[in-house]
Amino acid sequence: MHYVIIGGGIAGTTAAEELRKLNPVSEITIVSQEIHPVYSRVLLPHFLKGKVPRERVFLKKVSWYDEQKIEWLTGISVVQLDTKNKFVGLSDGRELPYDKLLITTGGELRTLFSDARGVSYFRTLDDADHLQQLLSERTEKSLAVVYGGGFIACEYINIFAHYQIPFSVAFRGPYFWPRLLETEAGELIQKQLLSHGIALHPHSVFSEVVGEKELRAVKTSSGEHPCSLLGVGIGIETDFSWIQEAGIETGSGIKCDEFLKTNVADVYTAGDVAEFFDVIVGRQIHIGNWMNAMMQGRHVARTMFGQEKTFELVSSYATNVLGLEIIFVGDVSKEHADEVKVFGSVQSGGVVQLFARAGQLVGAVLIGRNQDRAQVTKLIQSRSQISVYDFHHF
Amino acid sequence: MPRIRVKVDEDLCIGAASCVTIAPETFQLNAENKALVIDHGNQPDGPTYERWLEVTEEEKENIVLAAQSCPTLAVFIFDEAGVQLFPEM
Repeated sequence: MHYVIIGGGIAGTTAAEELRKLNPVSEITIVSQEIHPVYSRVLLPHFLKGKVPRERVFLKKVSWYDEQKIEWLTGISVVQLDTKNKFVGLSDGRELPYDKLLITTGGELRTLFSDARGVSYFRTLDDADHLQQLLSERTEKSLAVVYGGGFIACEYINIFAHYQIPFSVAFRGPYFWPRLLETEAGELIQKQLLSHGIALHPHSVFSEVVGEKELRAVKTSSGEHPCSLLGVGIGIETDFSWIQEAGIETGSGIKCDEFLKTNVADVYTAGDVAEFFDVIVGRQIHIGNWMNAMMQGRHVARTMFGQEKTFELVSSYATNVLGLEIIFVGDVSKEHADEVKVFGSVQSGGVVQLFARAGQLVGAVLIGRNQDRAQVTKLIQSRSQISVYDFHHF
Repeated sequence: MPRIRVKVDEDLCIGAASCVTIAPETFQLNAENKALVIDHGNQPDGPTYERWLEVTEEEKENIVLAAQSCPTLAVFIFDEAGVQLFPEM
């Protein structure tokens, strides 16, 4: 049995580890675009703020792959998939046959269409190394801009604040996460940023970066913002062409069922790239967070080994912007909800936003309301009605 | 039954909650969104980030799994002799 895993991140590596436990003699190959052993992306902000040394971001040593008898191909991507003859074509020209194939390629960063030295993105360890270099070049006159209104923007905000670099934040929407949040929730985040003296530029559509070689400013529809450092976090955009050409169904991710099987036999998916059928919230959903990637990695290994079981998890993701905790639990798409309810207020410093379909609570966003996390997670898990949620004033 | 010391580094913990999901008998989030160490669901002597636990082999394995799942490697596990079991040095 030869298991081939495309993608060496946490989902793919966890799957490989579990497959090795289940089957000590099978062949396992990980094809990884990155050259580093698996590392924690979640630790990269800690590394940049000097909380942990660089070597602490790695979750496995280079020697681990050999010890586990896992073939580990680095710096290589997949360019072709033939599901009839069961092989993948690699960027180095090789053809790699498989018996069972797992796709855990994560997501590709969406980038701006112009560039200059000083423009930073933040997903991989290489991105973090690049940002660390830019940060080390800062002077007292340095100015920064954050472009984006999501998770990565929050990381840049915390990093620039940590280094006391004056910065402003420009984003396309009226507030952060406009497709998820209602006004009250969005305004609570704005208030947090404003209270730290940060200038906000909502409704900013990017037009270009200014500067021949070195970045001097960023131009958006809200004006020209001078900066020598631009942190960009505008989401994920994945190229599915080789996957679609192989006849695998895609939406915003690679579609799969509740066992993490795609529509093509012996092809599986997990992690950030998977759009899986979530039995708890009752729809095919695309979730990009650590907990989901790790748990799906382990789960899909069992499915591939023949121990088919429904994947069931209320996953969540927590971030923090300058001390304000923001937690997303379950299915938090306004578009897919038929009822969205807001509790709390900007004034009280805490907002809970709930999402429901046909009365069933499917997701929640908690801003400055950590104490509600256990309750909402349990209610979503038990497929409770939204009306059961009990809001306490603190 | 093995005795282990479980410690959460509150400075590293970001409240990702994967430990709570895998080992809810051992970890619980507090109001600061940080993981506390609890003893089989209880908190003798009040909330703490560090605790000695008496566990079965199976429970120990699950606690190690929970520590492995932490995206910031904020959970540390030591054996009775003080040897760090996770993260591996």
